[in-house]
Amino acid sequence: MAKRLTCKTVGAACLGLSMAWSSPAAFALADIIETPARQTDLATTSLLNDAVLAGDRIVAVGERGHIIYSDDDGKTWDQGSVPVSVTLTAVDFGSDTHGWAVGHSGVVLHTEDAGESWNLQLTGIEATELAIAGKEAQIAAMEERVEDAPESEKEDLEWAIDDVVFTMENMQSDLDIGPVNPLLSVWFKDDQYGFVVGAYGMILRTEDGGETWEDWASKIENAQNFHLNSIASITGGALAIVGEAGQIHVSVDGGDTWERRESPYQGSLFGVIGTGQVNEILAFGLRGNMLFSTDLGKSWRMVPNNAGATLNDGVVADDGRITLVGNGGTVLMSSNDADSFREHFRSDRAGIMSVVPVSGTNLLIVGESGVTIIDARGKNLQ
Amino acid sequence: MSNPNHDKGEHYLTTPKAEPFLERLIFNNRAVILIGFLLLTVFLGYNAVKIQPDASFERMIPLEHPYVINMLEHRNDLENLGNFVRIAVETKTGDIFSAEYMETLKQITDEVFYLDGVDRSGLKTLWTSNVRWVEVTEQGFQGGTVIPDGYDGSPASLEKLRQNILRSNEVGRLVSDNFQSTIVYAPLYEKNPETGEPLNYATFSRQLEEKIRNKYEGQNPNIDIHIVGFAKKVGDLIEGIGSIAWFAGITILLTTLLLFWYSRCITGTLVPVFTSIVAVFLQLGALRLLGYGLDPYSVLVPFLVFAIGISHGVQIINAMAVEAGKGFDAVTAARLAFRALYIPGMLALISDAFGFLTLFFIEIDVIRDLAIAAGLGVAFVILTNLVLHVLIMSYLGISKGGIRHVQNHGEKQDRKWRVMSYFAHPGVAPISLLIAVIGLGLGLYYKQDLKVGDLDQGAPELRADSRYNLDNAYIIDNYSTSADVLVVMVKTPVEQCTQYNVLRAMDSLQWELQNTPGVQSSASLADVSKIVTKALNEGNWKWYEISRNQTIINASIREAPSGLINTNCSLTPVLVFLEDHKAETLETVVKRVEVFAKANSDDEHTFLLAAGNAGVEAATNEVIANAKDMMLILVYSVVSLLCFATFRSIRAVLCIVIPLGLTSVLGEAIMAVSDIGIKVATLPVIALGVGIGVDYGIYIYSKLEKYLLEGKTLQDAYFETLRSTGKAVMFTGVTLGLGVVTWIFSPIKFQADMGFLLFFMFLWNMVGAIWLLPALARFLLRPDQMIAKARTAK
Repeated sequence: MAKRLTCKTVGAACLGLSMAWSSPAAFALADIIETPARQTDLATTSLLNDAVLAGDRIVAVGERGHIIYSDDDGKTWDQGSVPVSVTLTAVDFGSDTHGWAVGHSGVVLHTEDAGESWNLQLTGIEATELAIAGKEAQIAAMEERVEDAPESEKEDLEWAIDDVVFTMENMQSDLDIGPVNPLLSVWFKDDQYGFVVGAYGMILRTEDGGETWEDWASKIENAQNFHLNSIASITGGALAIVGEAGQIHVSVDGGDTWERRESPYQGSLFGVIGTGQVNEILAFGLRGNMLFSTDLGKSWRMVPNNAGATLNDGVVADDGRITLVGNGGTVLMSSNDADSFREHFRSDRAGIMSVVPVSGTNLLIVGESGVTIIDARGKNLQ
Repeated sequence: MSNPNHDKGEHYLTTPKAEPFLERLIFNNRAVILIGFLLLTVFLGYNAVKIQPDASFERMIPLEHPYVINMLEHRNDLENLGNFVRIAVETKTGDIFSAEYMETLKQITDEVFYLDGVDRSGLKTLWTSNVRWVEVTEQGFQGGTVIPDGYDGSPASLEKLRQNILRSNEVGRLVSDNFQSTIVYAPLYEKNPETGEPLNYATFSRQLEEKIRNKYEGQNPNIDIHIVGFAKKVGDLIEGIGSIAWFAGITILLTTLLLFWYSRCITGTLVPVFTSIVAVFLQLGALRLLGYGLDPYSVLVPFLVFAIGISHGVQIINAMAVEAGKGFDAVTAARLAFRALYIPGMLALISDAFGFLTLFFIEIDVIRDLAIAAGLGVAFVILTNLVLHVLIMSYLGISKGGIRHVQNHGEKQDRKWRVMSYFAHPGVAPISLLIAVIGLGLGLYYKQDLKVGDLDQGAPELRADSRYNLDNAYIIDNYSTSADVLVVMVKTPVEQCTQYNVLRAMDSLQWELQNTPGVQSSASLADVSKIVTKALNEGNWKWYEISRNQTIINASIREAPSGLINTNCSLTPVLVFLEDHKAETLETVVKRVEVFAKANSDDEHTFLLAAGNAGVEAATNEVIANAKDMMLILVYSVVSLLCFATFRSIRAVLCIVIPLGLTSVLGEAIMAVSDIGIKVATLPVIALGVGIGVDYGIYIYSKLEKYLLEGKTLQDAYFETLRSTGKAVMFTGVTLGLGVVTWIFSPIKFQADMGFLLFFMFLWNMVGAIWLLPALARFLLRPDQMIAKARTAK
């Protein structure tokens, strides 16, 4: 009797309860890449790893398969329907409507309606199989070269083959566990052509909007299979990839071939952006280390700053001001083309993963604690 | 007709003519029995004095509920998830980054370290070496204690301290969000690992007051200390029991005055008070011999015993005065009083006792203890009231003043009873019934809001403005923690508790719960794994995920807090932090977990409810909700059966029980309106209210029936009933009410609730018996048939 009464008096709550019984969770757990992301109000306050503009729309991705979008500069958000629940790491749009998101378990998701619905194009299983195929091709090519190589170089080449075989075997054993490795960044030129990059040197290219993918690792000089953390286009048309161990790769032919640049810094780089000036690159990473180049990475200058914390992403406003964001609530600002930066540490010290410009000089940041709109100095808007 | 002496009781039940066996037994051995009582009182009284306060955690929880069984079964695996105290040291001006503050904190840390019962290895403050900061560098991790090396209190080292704290992730946990206080976190041993003795909560709590709060607040006026934790709460409760002594004194004083006003006879005042106190001593002594202590619930039973003793003692005094007024000597008057009262008296007392015993069906030990204590008490009241009391009075007799007072049925008195007898008038009775029906309707309407469980923030046992709850509010406001924790236990095969599938399932449950209203946050090994995996990948949030690679998982939880994995890795908890402990919140959350557990438990992982204070409360609420109807049915059945056995008439039973039902409904409505939930403390009140409340009806109905059988009209019969027993019944209601009303001032919230509700039920049951019973009799009783039936019975 008491129970029934309680229910009667809190009718609304009870109704909510019985509805909840019939929704999610009432099935045994499927694999995380077969579990659709839950629709939840918490998506805007949970971890978000990346945010981009798709036309006037902001689209952000994060943990548990969350993809949210806003058409009013981040004031209100809707959640896209996503077939997976993995942590998503990056998103990019090739056009106003065609976008790709990547994440853990090697997933690549695709939308044709500006982020409202997403379908799974690729998983880590296929990605690893492609990578293994790539390695096999590489080994075959190298073996051919051994045949033709002069005796003095043979030993070195065989060592190199052994390295590749070892990498391939590692990939095989990863595959036995499942899709273990994450993709970490994505870039699309239009609704057809793009790259995804990720852990342990993973890089794939598509020329048909993600229908088919090709392993591109052999084009990158990364024998130790360090992580590739970020890919971006540079003003003027070049492409840049940065990664673990100070890797910087630049392509001037739209991604067909890549050249490794000498880096003055050997720690991890997490982000790379163009500054709006032709051939200028700003790369940044661990402990506030920041590198600036005006010649597509042929020469670098370290940019001194007081960030101290890892820098994750940056954005250039129409007026040329540069804002970088990072861990520990770090916001860096430059209005003199990256000559120097002023720092601000947000009081919540929450990690910031990405930044996009919104109305006026305001910025929208996403990260550890979800979405926040801040002013040009990094402070919360009232 | 108005001659009080003519009703020489021809009733077959209330006044048998022959000397019953019991009467002979008692009155022929008066001296022996009195000496027996003396010895018994000395022996049990000695034990009563030595009874100890006792507030054991386990006695307050439903040990037979599956949640609690699960919790107790795995309690060794869940070490110290629940039993700790947190001491917030607040500075009133400035912030914590001052040499003076840090020095005080250091002294407090040392002081707490040496308190008996503290698990020293788990002690955490800014000054302990287990509070560290960590930073990722190109070479790997770098870190240290938050107190910088070479700390000397200088501005430079305080600045370093500030940086370390910001890097340490302790803001919101050990350090308040506003940097005005920090926490000393002290896990406690339930049992002393060396001596095996259980932690003495009273002593521990007193030490916290003396050695920490008073000492350091006195030493440094700039410091405020806030202490929360189960041990402190229990300590405060035990402290609160102490104030009961005051209430006892006040109750005895008020009752004595009232009794004298009623009887106008010194003996007739002091003897009932004395015998009732004897009953209390007997009850307490017997309780101690049976191995019980006084917990915050059973400490209230002596009040009931005293009040019941007095209220029935009044009937004896009243009857003896009537008999003495007829010219009988003290012994004969006592015999006649005994003869007239031992059956209805025993009936009333036995129904009290049965009312209490229905509490035994609630599977919570404190309530069962309450049932035993109260049952025992009533048994002793039967002895002291019907034997000791009568025997002492047979020696002392009623004073002349007392007899005159009883005989004094002046015109004024009679006019009052005459007016009240109109309750049985055919014109008035329907109006009374209409009012009762309206009252019932209102009661049923308001009672819809009645909730199960505790409704207030903080520790519901204590008042909202108690020191403990103020401290609790401070900590909730300034730290990101909740005091209401539900623990779901995840059981796996040995050494399998960190498997990917286990973590993934826990993570799914957590997300399900975090999307449940009332859940603030949650924590488990899955969170540890994600956060450390992120840290191991140079602090990059993109790696915030449970890895499918078991080697990475194992690396990520190597440093996990010990409470999150048991020794052989077969159990790992999910901690769910709730916004409050309202019954709806608990019910919603627990239901979600149950649905999830059912769908997702398999050989790899079984989800078990529940530990944590919220788990225990959810179990308690369920037990109480289930027990409530059962208990009401039982107590009403028992009372109805006893009445039926006595009066052999269903109509009689209805006349007596319907007013009780109205009181029960109104009582629940009052609970709903005053935001008192049905809980461990208030559920017994419902049984006590009915069990004791029936006494009035029994005394009134037995007289009414007698006069009806003499052929009087209903209204006349009721007039005679009021003349002979109305005053005693009203007096009984007032004494019972007085016995409990002082509890309202108890520092313990649930005692106050119990006092308030019992006060209402005792008084209102009295009103119901006097006002509603005759109205019901007008519609239900058929005097002609009753007389015919009585004749054939003869």
